[in-house]
Amino acid sequence: LNSLVEAVGLSVAQMSVVIATAPLVNGVIKRVKARFQMRMGPPLLQGYFDIAKWLARSERKANTSSFVSTLAPPLIIAAVLSTLVFLPVFRDQAPSASGGDLLVVVGLLALCRALLSLAGMDTGGAFGGMGSSRELAVGALIEPVLLLALVTLAIQPGTTRLDEIMTFGIGEPGLFLNVGWVLAAAAFLIAILAETGRIPFDNPDTHLELTMIHEGMLIEYSGRSLGLLHLAGVVKQLVLILIFVNVFLPFGMASLDGIAGFALGAGLVTLKVVAIAVVLGVVESLFAKMRLFQLPDLIGTAGFSATLGVAMTVLFA
Amino acid sequence: LSFSDIILRIFEDSEHLESEFGLVSSLVTASLVLLILASASGLNGFLRRRRVELVLSALASGLILLAAVVIVGEGRSVSLSLWSPSPYSQLALHIDALGGVFAAIIGGVGLAASVFGLGYAHHRPIDGLTYPLFLLTMLLTASAANVYTFLVGWEGMALTSFLLVLGDGASSPRRQAAILYLVMTHVATVFVTASFFLVAREAGSTEFAAMSAAELPTTLASLTFVLALAGFGTKAGLIPVHIWLPRAHPVAPSHVSALMSAAMVKVGIYGLARVSLDFLSPGEPWWGLLLIAIGGLSAFLGVLYALMEHDLKRILAFSTVENVGIIALALGAVLSLRAHDQPALAAALFTAALLHSVNHAWFKTLLFLAAGSVQQAAHTLSIDRLGGLARVMPLTSVAALVGCLSIAALPPFNGFAGEWLLFRGLVGAAATPVGDTLRLTSLAAIGVLAAASGLAVACFVRLFGISFLGLPRTGEAEHAREAPLVMTATLLVLAVFCLVTGIGAGWLADWLQPVSGELLAVTNEHSPALIEPQTGGRFSPALLAIVLLVLAPLPWVIARAAFGKQQRPSLAPVWSTGVVFRPSMQYSGTSFSKILRLFYHRILLPEREIEVAYHGASPLPRLVRYNGRVPALFEERLYKPLRSGVLWAAGHVRVVQNGSVQMYLLYMVAVLGFLLVVAR
Repeated sequence: LNSLVEAVGLSVAQMSVVIATAPLVNGVIKRVKARFQMRMGPPLLQGYFDIAKWLARSERKANTSSFVSTLAPPLIIAAVLSTLVFLPVFRDQAPSASGGDLLVVVGLLALCRALLSLAGMDTGGAFGGMGSSRELAVGALIEPVLLLALVTLAIQPGTTRLDEIMTFGIGEPGLFLNVGWVLAAAAFLIAILAETGRIPFDNPDTHLELTMIHEGMLIEYSGRSLGLLHLAGVVKQLVLILIFVNVFLPFGMASLDGIAGFALGAGLVTLKVVAIAVVLGVVESLFAKMRLFQLPDLIGTAGFSATLGVAMTVLFA
Repeated sequence: LSFSDIILRIFEDSEHLESEFGLVSSLVTASLVLLILASASGLNGFLRRRRVELVLSALASGLILLAAVVIVGEGRSVSLSLWSPSPYSQLALHIDALGGVFAAIIGGVGLAASVFGLGYAHHRPIDGLTYPLFLLTMLLTASAANVYTFLVGWEGMALTSFLLVLGDGASSPRRQAAILYLVMTHVATVFVTASFFLVAREAGSTEFAAMSAAELPTTLASLTFVLALAGFGTKAGLIPVHIWLPRAHPVAPSHVSALMSAAMVKVGIYGLARVSLDFLSPGEPWWGLLLIAIGGLSAFLGVLYALMEHDLKRILAFSTVENVGIIALALGAVLSLRAHDQPALAAALFTAALLHSVNHAWFKTLLFLAAGSVQQAAHTLSIDRLGGLARVMPLTSVAALVGCLSIAALPPFNGFAGEWLLFRGLVGAAATPVGDTLRLTSLAAIGVLAAASGLAVACFVRLFGISFLGLPRTGEAEHAREAPLVMTATLLVLAVFCLVTGIGAGWLADWLQPVSGELLAVTNEHSPALIEPQTGGRFSPALLAIVLLVLAPLPWVIARAAFGKQQRPSLAPVWSTGVVFRPSMQYSGTSFSKILRLFYHRILLPEREIEVAYHGASPLPRLVRYNGRVPALFEERLYKPLRSGVLWAAGHVRVVQNGSVQMYLLYMVAVLGFLLVVAR
C-alpha cells in the first residue's frame, strides 16, 4: 500500500508540475523567437493568461458537431498526462515504470493525434479536414522515426523501460554516448519539431490555411474546450522535451533520496529543459517553413538518421 | 435414408470419447450437429424465412467458443472420431491448444455474425444452406486430426465461401470476384496438399500426431515450408497472393464478409503455424526472415492501399491484408528465433501473433458488421457519399469509433496490446545476440511496423471521420436511421469486448500460454493485468485504463472549480470563410488521402487525367473532367503478364488435343510403352 501511495503521489506531483510549467516553457520558446526578430515578445506568463481566459469563457459550437468534439479535449489531455505515469521526471524513477514503457508512450502520443484529428473532422469544416489530413500524413511518417530513435537507446540496456534506459545512461555514459546516440538524438529532435507543430513543419503563429496544420484542427473550438486543447498542446511539447532530456541526456539524475535529491533533480531537469527550449526557439528562428510536399525529404532524413543510428548500435555497440 | 439417419451414421463413433474431458467433447459434438441441422433448415423456405439457420448457427458458435476457451485454457486436447468409411479416409477431429485458439476465433466471430444476421436484410435463399456449412467446414479445418479431414474441410470452406461470395451471381463484378477467388483458392490447395504430402511421406502417416514427429531432411523441410507458405499465404491474403481478398470479401453480405475477413483468413494462419511450428522443427533461420519480409510487405502495402480506397468494405479488406501481414511477421520472428534457439523470446512473439489474431477477429468483425449497418441504412458503402452518420446513427457510430481506435492499435484498446507485445519481442530480438542478420531484420521490422501503424491511424481516422462525422454528403446518408436493435446490440457488445480485451490483455495473454507450451515448450507467466515477456519492459493496460479514466474528467472538474460553471454552448454555423457552408465543401476521402498519396507516389504510382473542353473561342472552359486512380499494381504488373503467359501456353498446348480419338489412343499406348520401359 505504501508503494501505491508513493506512486500515486509521484504521479500527481509530476503531472501538476508539468501542467504548471508547460505554458512557461512555451513562453521561453516564444521569447527566444521574439529576440531573434528584434521584438520584445509577450511576457513569459502570457500563456497562462491566455489559457485562463479561455477556461473562463463559455463555448460556441458548430451546429454540425457531434459527441466527438465534446469528448475529445478531456481525452486528449488525459492521454498526454498519462505518459507521465511511465516517464521519470525528477530522478531516474517513474511512478509506475513497470506498467508501461517507451512503446506505450509512443502509443499514447498516437492516441492524442488520432483524437485531435477526429475532433478536427467533426464539424465537417474544410479547415478541420485540411488540418487533420496534414497532421495524420506527417504523423504517419514521423511515427517510425520517433520509435526507432527511442529503440536505439533500448538496444544496449536490453529494455524498453524508460527508467532503466536512464539508469544505464547514467551508469555507463561511455557506452551510452556513441554514434548511434548522436544520430538518434538528431532524429528525435526533428521528430519533436514535427510533433509539436513547429517550423519547418507547421507555423504555430499563423492561421493561414496554406500552411497551418495544428491550428486548422482547433478552428471550430472556443471557450473552455479550446483552453484545454491549448493546454494539452503545450503539455505534449513539454512531455516530448522531457523524454529527450531524461532519456537522451540523463546525466546527473541518479536516484538521490529525500527532499534534497528531489530538489537537485528538479533543478537539473529545469536547466536542461530550458536549454532545449532555447534550442527549439533558435531552430525555429533560423529556418523557414517548408512546403508541405517537401516535408517527406526532411522526415526521410530524420528516418535515415534514426535507422542508421539503430543499425550502428546493433552492429558496433 | 432419412436425415436423422445420416446424422446418426456420422456420429456413430462418437461414443469413444475421452471420458474425463467428456463435457467439452459433447459441446463440440453438439455444435457440429447444430450446424448440420442449421444448414438443413436453410433448405426449408418456412424455416429460412424465420432465420432458423442463423439462430442454430449462433447457438453452435457459442458452444464451440465455450469448448475452445476451456480447451486452450486447460491446455488439453479433445479427440473425436466422426466417421471412418475406410482406413484412409477417416473424418476425425483433434482440437489441441493451437487449434483451440482458432476454433475460438471461428466460434466468436460466428456467434456475432449470426446474431447480427438476424436483423440484416440482405439475405439470399442459397445463403441459408451455405452459411452454416461454411462455419462447419471452417471448424473442421481448424480442428482436423489428419490430412484427409483437413482437406475435406479446406475444400468445403473454399466451395461454400465461393457460393457465399457468388450469391445469386447477378452482377458481373461479383461473378468475376467469385471466380478469381475460386481459382486462387484452388491453386492454394495444390500447394497445401503438396506440403502435406511431403511431410506425410516422411512420417509414413497422414495423422497430424504422427506428422508432428516427422524428421525431414533440411532441403525437403525447406521445400515443404515454401509450399505451405504459398498455399496458406494465399488463403491468409499475404501480398503478393492477396489479390482475391479485396475483391471477394466486400461483395459478400456483411456478416459473411466478417466471417471471411476475421475468421477464414486465420485458418490460413493456423495452417502455416501448424506446418511450420508443429511439423517442421526446429527449422532454418531463413524461413523466418522470408516470412518477416512477406509479412512486413503485406502490413505496409495493405494499409497504404486501404488508405486509397473509397468503399468501406474494401478499406476493411485491405486492412485485413495489413493485419494478416502483422501476424505473419510475428510468426516469422518466432521461426527465426526458434532456429536460433531462443525459445523464451520466440514464445513471447508467438503469444503476440496469437493475441493479434484473436484481437483482429473482434475488431474486424465489429467494423464489417458496422459497415453492414451503414449499408442497410444509407444504401451505399462509398465513404464519399456518406457523412454525418454520428448524429443519425449514434449507437452504431460509437461502436464503429471503438472499432476504428482498436484497429489503429491505439491504447488502451485491444489492437494495441498485441502490437505492444510484438514490438517488445522485436526489440528483445534486436538486443539479443542472435546473429546480425536477424537483429537487423528485427529492426527493419520495427520500422516497417511503425510506419504501418502510423498509416493505420490515418486510414481509420479517415474512415470514421469522412463517413460518420461532418455533414451528410447525399440524401441517402441524411435519411439514414439507426439500425434494428439486434444489430446495434451486437455492435455494442463487440465494442465493449474490444475495450475489455484491451484492458484485460494480460488475462488473454495468460490464456494463450498453453499454445506456446505445446509448440515451443516454453510458457511465459503473464500476471492478470500485465503483459510480461521474459525480459525488462512490461505493460499494464489495466493501469493505463484506470489512469485515463481518472484523468479524463479531471480537467473539467478543476476548470469548473476554478472558473465556475459554464453556460450551455451556443450553436453557430461552421466557419467557411464567410460563405454559406455546404456539404460539398467538406474534405472527401480522396482529398483527405491526397497528401499521403503524394508522399508515397513512388510506391503507389497514382494516375490522373484532366480533360478540359472549351466552348468555341471562349477562354472559359465549358467542361473539366478529372479522373484519378491508384492502379492495382500487383494485378497489372504481375498477374496480367502471368495470365497472358498461361493463355499463350495453353494456346500452344492445345495442338496436342486435336479431338481425334485415334490420336488419344496413340498417346495412351505411348505412355504405356514408356512406363513399361521405365518401370521394368
